[in-house]
Amino acid sequence: MGMNNQSINLEIGQCAATTYSVPVGPVHPALKEPIRFSFNLDGERIVGVDIKPGFAHRGIEYMGMKRNLIQALYLSERICGICSISHPLAFTQAVENAAGIEVPPRAQYIRTIIGELERIHSHLLWAGVGAHELGFDTLLHLTWNVREKTMDLLEQLTGNRVDYAIPIFSGVRRDIPEEKTHLAYEAIDYYRGLLQQMIDAYLHDKSVELRTRNVGVLTYDQAVELCAAGPTTRASGVKKDVRQDMPYLAYADMAIEAITPEAFGTEPIGDVYDNIIVRLLEVAQAIDIIEYCLENMPSGELMSIPKVPALLAALKKASGEGIGRHEAPRGEVFHYVRLEEGVEEAVAWKVKAPTYSNLMSWVPKFLGDEIADVPIIAASIDPCMCCMDRAHFADAQGNTSVRMKQELVRLSREKTRRICG
Amino acid sequence: MNVANLFASFRSALGDGYLEDRTIERTVGTVETGTVYDLWIVVERDRLHDAVAHLCEAYDPHLSVISGDDLGETLALNYHFTVGWGARYGEATVTLRTVLPKSDLTVPTITDLLPGAQTSEREKIEFLGVDVVGIPDDRNIFLPEDMTIHPWRKDLEEETAKEVKRMVKWEGRHGHE
Repeated sequence: MGMNNQSINLEIGQCAATTYSVPVGPVHPALKEPIRFSFNLDGERIVGVDIKPGFAHRGIEYMGMKRNLIQALYLSERICGICSISHPLAFTQAVENAAGIEVPPRAQYIRTIIGELERIHSHLLWAGVGAHELGFDTLLHLTWNVREKTMDLLEQLTGNRVDYAIPIFSGVRRDIPEEKTHLAYEAIDYYRGLLQQMIDAYLHDKSVELRTRNVGVLTYDQAVELCAAGPTTRASGVKKDVRQDMPYLAYADMAIEAITPEAFGTEPIGDVYDNIIVRLLEVAQAIDIIEYCLENMPSGELMSIPKVPALLAALKKASGEGIGRHEAPRGEVFHYVRLEEGVEEAVAWKVKAPTYSNLMSWVPKFLGDEIADVPIIAASIDPCMCCMDRAHFADAQGNTSVRMKQELVRLSREKTRRICG
Repeated sequence: MNVANLFASFRSALGDGYLEDRTIERTVGTVETGTVYDLWIVVERDRLHDAVAHLCEAYDPHLSVISGDDLGETLALNYHFTVGWGARYGEATVTLRTVLPKSDLTVPTITDLLPGAQTSEREKIEFLGVDVVGIPDDRNIFLPEDMTIHPWRKDLEEETAKEVKRMVKWEGRHGHE
């Protein structure tokens, strides 16, 4: 506490008594996606925060309602670069439920395998970002190197590292042929061998623990009443996971359990450390699910309506409402569609991504913590309009200053060094 | 999930405000099959808050999202809840639907019952022009702060197209300077 007062005063001095709201530009070279936080500070303590997302809002639902369903499927795949199968999985299920289209068992298993591969690479991406925010770049590079194995496997199985173009209404577009399954088994062995090492590096490291224990806390009750989703809510001890609660695809053939910190033998606190526990253990869970799917893969067709013109015709004839849900790496993805007979487009389409649900949980997580904890708390929910491009600070007297992200990461790293002596 | 009990408890809690219900039953699983439910209840706007209060009392609901559906003369709001999470096959979606006339697009806030609903309610204000009475924060959330068009309203398409055109032109001009 206190060591950065000088720089704060300097900055406040520069912007003396000027309160301004900054419409932050959508692009910053250092960041994936923009968002603005306005913090109220008492010294270095955060006593208030206002969050403004939306700088990357592209009006996807609006565009989707102007395209036929297959064109909208391509659009849904591009909602998120990391969850690039999660949205199509929820969207195809919503449309299939509305139109009453069956999905062959083999297609359900292939969808599940790709979905779980996405979970592995998403969680490892997150763990690397977390390490970076704390100043452990060695761990970042190790984690992202390990993540490459999944990206390579996805490329070998689907042809793409992202946007795998696997689900289509009534099934999947590509098979996982027998001669390629050994690649997946190799990846399974690789990750099983590394898992303990990852757990040691993150969860048995004193400095990681000091920076993340009791930081960014979301209590059980807060998680429930703020309708948080995914690892963010499970870290608080809420056993909520669509794969367990309302099974779908191949998840219905397995006894999946929502992972909370209790699985690691600790009581859930809902802090950043618990978020690490949940995500690392979910990597292990994803490996088990992929192995089950490979071993029990049903044979048979890939699509129940294999010809695209016939599929479009069937969709045009359909009428009704459908809900599609998928437990994406970051939490529940929810799609609602309404189809009308004779109309090629969805007449109503609503997409709910996990960060939408977790947005409000940032507020209790930030309150009471220090400026230097902002990067890791912001990262803890694994936000999808991720990273701050600038944070807009106001001190208790209402003076404001603007901090660049690099400055925040520097503060965060100095705190780690201070703690570790 | 006991569907009949759920509907019955809503019916007795809402009386005349309970308009109709619908159950969509789906079989899932390829080896061992199970059943999952999507439940729909249509309620009067005036009883929407009571319906959510009943849901919060009887279950521990999670609000996934509120979706809007422009039906021409009217606008439907679907409050997509899930209840019963925490156990395998324990959960069902419960959607409370209320239909508003375009001439009076007001709806009570449910943030007093479920604070997590705020993001979704703010989105409905900006994208559909719904007036959410009693919401603690009604600023635009995803759209620019000063934007007043409602892009998901089908009767306002012309205004939206005009605004989009203006923005594209504005950005284009500045981009080339």
